[in-house]
Amino acid sequence: MTPQAFLATSGLLGLFVLAAGVYGVLYGMGRLRESQRLMKAATVAYAALCGIVAAIVLATPLGFGWKLLIGASAAIYYAIPPITWRHLHRTHRDRGAQA
Amino acid sequence: MRFDDPNFWRAGAIATTVVMAVVLIFLTIDSLAAITAGGSHVPPYTVINQAISYAHDSKRNHDMPVIGKDEPLFGRKVDAAEAERLIDKGKLVIQSRACIDCHTFMGNGAYYAPDLTKAWLDPAWDAWMAITEADSKEEAMARFLMEPEKYATWERKMPNLSISRDEAEATVAYLKWLASIDTNGFPIHFGRITVGD
Amino acid sequence: MSRSQLLAIKYLMAAIAFFGVMTLTGLLSAAYYVKPDLLFGLLHFNIAKILHIDTLIIWLLMGFMGAVYWFLPEEFGREPEGIWLAELLFWVFCAAVLVVALIFIFVQWGPGTEQTLWLFQQGRKYVEAPRWAAIGVATVMLVFAWNIVGTAIKAQRITGIMAILSINTVPLVLLYLVAFPAISNMAVDLYWWWWLVHLWVEATWEILIGCIMALAVMQLLGTSRKIVEGWLYIEVALVLGTGILGLGHHYFWIGTPDYWLGIGGFFSALEPLPLLGMVVHAVYDAGTHRMQTTNKPAFYWTLAEAFGNFLGGGAFGFMITLPQLNLFAHGTQWTVSHGHFAFWGAYACGVISICYIALQKFRALAAVEGRLWIWSFAALNFGLLGMVGSLLVSGMAQAFFERAIGGSTLEAFVATQENPWFVLGMDARLGFGLLFAAGYVALVWDLATLGRRAPVRAVAAPAE
Repeated sequence: MTPQAFLATSGLLGLFVLAAGVYGVLYGMGRLRESQRLMKAATVAYAALCGIVAAIVLATPLGFGWKLLIGASAAIYYAIPPITWRHLHRTHRDRGAQA
Repeated sequence: MRFDDPNFWRAGAIATTVVMAVVLIFLTIDSLAAITAGGSHVPPYTVINQAISYAHDSKRNHDMPVIGKDEPLFGRKVDAAEAERLIDKGKLVIQSRACIDCHTFMGNGAYYAPDLTKAWLDPAWDAWMAITEADSKEEAMARFLMEPEKYATWERKMPNLSISRDEAEATVAYLKWLASIDTNGFPIHFGRITVGD
Repeated sequence: MSRSQLLAIKYLMAAIAFFGVMTLTGLLSAAYYVKPDLLFGLLHFNIAKILHIDTLIIWLLMGFMGAVYWFLPEEFGREPEGIWLAELLFWVFCAAVLVVALIFIFVQWGPGTEQTLWLFQQGRKYVEAPRWAAIGVATVMLVFAWNIVGTAIKAQRITGIMAILSINTVPLVLLYLVAFPAISNMAVDLYWWWWLVHLWVEATWEILIGCIMALAVMQLLGTSRKIVEGWLYIEVALVLGTGILGLGHHYFWIGTPDYWLGIGGFFSALEPLPLLGMVVHAVYDAGTHRMQTTNKPAFYWTLAEAFGNFLGGGAFGFMITLPQLNLFAHGTQWTVSHGHFAFWGAYACGVISICYIALQKFRALAAVEGRLWIWSFAALNFGLLGMVGSLLVSGMAQAFFERAIGGSTLEAFVATQENPWFVLGMDARLGFGLLFAAGYVALVWDLATLGRRAPVRAVAAPAE
């Protein structure tokens, strides 16, 4: 790995997780405020995450296995906010009903 | 079983922890065999009697220590018991002076001073032999360790830590043995300057 | 107020005091990079560094213990078993830490013998304290474990959170035993040392703070126990599921076989996943509960915990966790940047949150108000962000110039330490460190005067 490729790869991996965080926050805020604009912004953040994954896959010297792992992580990142939200919503509602 | 049932996750937490812990125990048994002195990754302490160099291994695609012909430390060949005594002493010196709180070993430590993993192999010692008027690398290292304030380094000076002659020799032995460990290519490109594209 | 909660207040006060020592010695450590001849011949970098990282461990440990002693009587409905011993050991603990600090400052080192390790210095990162003091810490933790487990046995009942906490005390005590041996073979020494640093600090502590935050959320937001316990089990499953073998990312370069490159990289790549769930959870709580809390500082520090953990542990960690990249970044200021951010997010914010929760009840405040906490919150967090950002610049410069280009030698190290990018980062780190220290002063002032300065709306049962 060349020095330049090392820095670029590392930066992309940081941005990858950061984009997942932005997506999660926007998704949560969108659901909280029932705002279509925020939900669209969350979609844009996830699209950015996909763009970063594409850059990692196409432009970095990481091995195939690592690229596959990052691609799979991207898919899981997509699912975490809605699943977490649904779970939170349901547990709070159920307990509220029980109370 | 529902995903929002706490009992499901309790069972999951216990199962995951147990499985991971068992895997870790098996890996630990295997790893300890490899890193015990004389194991597949860590040479016996008597390696200090031999020449050590570092070269790229194309099969494993990283730099590997290469153990060469006889090259006794301080001109004295030592047996296994003496080698072990030197390594034990060297480690005690390193701990008693808290070397790891300025330097790093295998990248672990304090980052204020250079990494010592491959210090034995550092090309700078050739120049240091002249500076310390020593006739060998190990002698240059020992003289520097005993009286670091006598020799100009750079703005971050190493303090005098009252290291005796015995302690200095043991520390040098330790650093030589350390350089012989297969560290999967760490630190990268050791001793070679790379020109980026 | 129960004896256990009074002890908790003492532990939390001591934690905040040692947080101050950590901040001060951190500033001093940062200053050596800017002015290398500082205190030369009197107090060298390694001693400042030892005081900085050891007080980090001590203040967080004391913070956790304070938090647990705070919640114990409420969880069991009785005083903890052996509380008198815990009260005694608190003073022994504080005195021992002070004596060790004095030894580090005035004795500093000894000859290369076993006696030095027993009396003055063990010289292993994070566990430099001499063995006599390490025995003391182990004793304190044994009694701490007995306070939890013994109370559960006596009370003949246990909650889910307390069950996790009780089980967690076993590895908490056992893993600390790694603080004692001086194994000559550094590969083996580091192998076990990482059990202490990773599995103790990054696994048992994660569970400990998870339990503490679960109890805090119940008190702060009135969330039901069943919800909190369900989430705690999920957290334990995910943290230990990814974290136990995530230990492998510390086994890349210490002489261990190269299968650790794959194992460590794989599990480390999974580690940010649960942290994203925590961020979403924090957004949910922020949205649904913000208006209901009477303790905004505690609540905001809880949120800072979720975000800090994700950014520091997740994003900053993932930059350097894959073995191909770690080979360049390991052992540089990049690691320092990640370490500062992760410790802050994972633990420090949580302990500060607990301080506000405990003080609200201790001072019988209906609501925690005022503006000072906002200033301290902002200065501490911006200071920290600035520090880790600056260290990132220096770390990138080091990985690039020293490792990737320079060949990792002594000459490459020295040349990079004088590189303008590296120097800029280290200078800026000191500046942001000063901002952080100002935030600390504001925090102490706020905690000390809370309720005495801001209007108190209504008073619950007064503290004894």
